[in-house]
Amino acid sequence: MWTTVSDLDRMFGSMDLLRSRMNRMLLDYDRFYGRGGGWAVTATEPLTNLYDAGDSLEVKAEVPGMAREDVNIKVQGNYLEISGTRKSDTPEGYKAHREERDTETSFTRSFTLPSEEINTEKVSASLKNGILTITLPKTEAAKPKQVTIN
Amino acid sequence: MNENTDIVKTEGRAVEQSRQLPTMTPVVDIYENDNEILLFADMPGVTKENLSVNIDNGKLSVLGIRRLETAGSASWEEFGDVEYLRNFSVPQTIDVAKVNAELKDGVLKLHLPKSEAAKPKQIEIKAE
Repeated sequence: MWTTVSDLDRMFGSMDLLRSRMNRMLLDYDRFYGRGGGWAVTATEPLTNLYDAGDSLEVKAEVPGMAREDVNIKVQGNYLEISGTRKSDTPEGYKAHREERDTETSFTRSFTLPSEEINTEKVSASLKNGILTITLPKTEAAKPKQVTIN
Repeated sequence: MNENTDIVKTEGRAVEQSRQLPTMTPVVDIYENDNEILLFADMPGVTKENLSVNIDNGKLSVLGIRRLETAGSASWEEFGDVEYLRNFSVPQTIDVAKVNAELKDGVLKLHLPKSEAAKPKQIEIKAE
């Protein structure tokens, strides 16, 4: 029985080795490796996070090189849409050695939020160091309630 | 994002590795004209305090650390805390004293001016 388990282990071990070799190969081939599990394709949409803080939801998105006026946010019920345009910052009169960045692009990304009850009047957003943070407060009915014991 | 590359169980290992920041290579644009080399690097979420640019003996190293301020539990997370690191070779003709860096909207803009001796010169031909 135990020999079978160790055989299995060894098999998985060689799979690990193969996977790490493949990943290393991709590392040389595609500099965008590192974003995910090693097999990720370059994203043209910004990466996002969603947090649930009880009273509100918080959406964060990576939007480097975009200013406040370049980003649009739309909320309708539990539907959220973020769109933006990145202006090219390519300098004039320079010779390009390397252009990996995705400048002069636009994107739209939409979500259906997990909470039905968003107080759309009180949604706020901030943009700092290329990270967009949207705070979506829940309505009173959807907020967690403290229950007191009689 | 799943950073785990181990399929094999880890119980057997003697010491568990402490959690460290994943390292990422920031994407860059590099431009050059007669006066300077200009480098742009996308590093969203990196603050001025957590960014360092070092030039030593022809090696330029850009290191930025991003720590997200979050509240509540994550429903999904496509990006997280990360260490942006990238090294470059720079020609010795760069005037290190005049290098200046700007950080705006998560984009680092690094001016690497060439020293006077390295700039192209127009030679005037004197008439007799």
